[in-house]
Amino acid sequence: MLGTLKKYALIYREFFATCLAEATTYRMHFVLLIVMDLLFYATTLTTVDFIYQHVSAVGPWDRNQFMFFLAFLLTVDQLHMTFVSESFWVLSASIRNGDLDFLIIKPVNLYFLIFLRHIRPASMLLCFVTVFLLWHFGTKAGLGWVQFMLLPVLLILALLFLVSLEILISASMFWLVEGTGVNFFRMQLQQVSRWPDFVFYGLPRRFFTFVIPVLLIGNAPVQFLFSPFAFSSLLWMIGLTVVIWVLIERIWSKALRQYESASS
Amino acid sequence: MNSRFPMWLQTVYVAWSNLLAYRVNFFLLVIGPALVFFFVKFSLWSSIYEQQGNRELAGLSREAMLGYQAMVLIVSLLAQGHNSTRLAEDIRLGRITAYLIYPFSLFEFHASSFIALQSVQIITSSVVFLMAISLGLFTAINLVFVVKGLVLCFFVSLLWFLIQYCLGLLAFWLEQTWVMRVLFQIIAQFLSGSILPLEFFPQGLRDALMFSPFPYLTWVPAKTMLTGEGSIIYAVGILCFWIMVASLLARLIWNRGLRMYTGAGM
Repeated sequence: MLGTLKKYALIYREFFATCLAEATTYRMHFVLLIVMDLLFYATTLTTVDFIYQHVSAVGPWDRNQFMFFLAFLLTVDQLHMTFVSESFWVLSASIRNGDLDFLIIKPVNLYFLIFLRHIRPASMLLCFVTVFLLWHFGTKAGLGWVQFMLLPVLLILALLFLVSLEILISASMFWLVEGTGVNFFRMQLQQVSRWPDFVFYGLPRRFFTFVIPVLLIGNAPVQFLFSPFAFSSLLWMIGLTVVIWVLIERIWSKALRQYESASS
Repeated sequence: MNSRFPMWLQTVYVAWSNLLAYRVNFFLLVIGPALVFFFVKFSLWSSIYEQQGNRELAGLSREAMLGYQAMVLIVSLLAQGHNSTRLAEDIRLGRITAYLIYPFSLFEFHASSFIALQSVQIITSSVVFLMAISLGLFTAINLVFVVKGLVLCFFVSLLWFLIQYCLGLLAFWLEQTWVMRVLFQIIAQFLSGSILPLEFFPQGLRDALMFSPFPYLTWVPAKTMLTGEGSIIYAVGILCFWIMVASLLARLIWNRGLRMYTGAGM
């Protein structure tokens, strides 16, 4: 077990080294990625700030609570952009041009190779910004030290849930051949997840909580932080993560059988 | 001109076939994002207005806001669908060499793709428009205002295409141009009033924005279609000015970029 962990840690170190070398070779791209993320954070927060200049509350949340929710999701987004996002785009190209062959034959876990291969060091630098936003709006929203201590665990849970859902969805690339649309679909789901669940009513809310449960990504952990006795959503999210991984195993094995190299 | 027309027609036809070859992909890539964006904003504003007892916010009633958001969807489908992914790829992989000797230029080729996309988007947005009417999203529809708005959308789509063309040409210098496209998308969505109508912006920022092309990308056409507010001649004038600027910029970037091009890609 320890030997396996060490082996994967060494492989991941190599992944990181090559990604860092690549990122620092194209410096303009590196800087632009940081500017892009910063602008995204700024417009997301400013949008909600402008809304709160006209209303005192949205649903049960005041401005600080809503801003903390956004800070939480921006942090999940930043971790996602750093560690996995790029890999989904590469996957769609790999299926189309047959590069996936080289990953399938390697004696390493396929999910590890596909989804953790591409790291974006530029986005990693933005952790200072997102941590500051979490601390700033968390303090304003009245979070105590216990809630702050729970934050890292909840962030990892939210990220794990989001990535699991995306891995499941990305299996469809094997049938659609052109996977760029699936990646856009993933991004649209992320957009839905960036809003509190009380914004949605009726069927859409049930759909995005139970069928494609993206609303849980931010809502379950943040609602738990605001009221620790409201943990049912969080438990639902953890349970669903297990269910999603069972589905991933089944659907991905079918998807891989469907794969016919560059001609698929 | 007459001898070139069949070339344009054939290229548009090929681009149209390419677009519709992967229909699910096309839907997820071009139509899906606009629909999801609308769905989120519709839900958000419905919920906010309901909580506020349907009072006016920033001078907009609930009906006006939902109508505005529906019009933003129409404008984005009609005028903001084009992107320059293919152009950047062509430059990076050295495929533009062929266009340098063809009797049909790279600009003409991408303009044909743009026309093909627009023809599909006209149908899509017409269907969405009729659906929005049947769902009662517009309290009243004035055909004159809609026609005025469509004229503006035509100019917006030209400006959008030229901006995307300029961003694609940056592949002469940049390793990847998608960051520039996303950057532009983030700025344009926010400053054009796609997310929030400009009525929600502080007055100073709103006044300053009117000197930029952004409000004319979404807010002005959507408002024109709904209320007929503002002079269409003035708005067309402003858009033509920015179209001219974008055209000159595209020419400048192309000439400069071509000097660096080696024929083996970038």
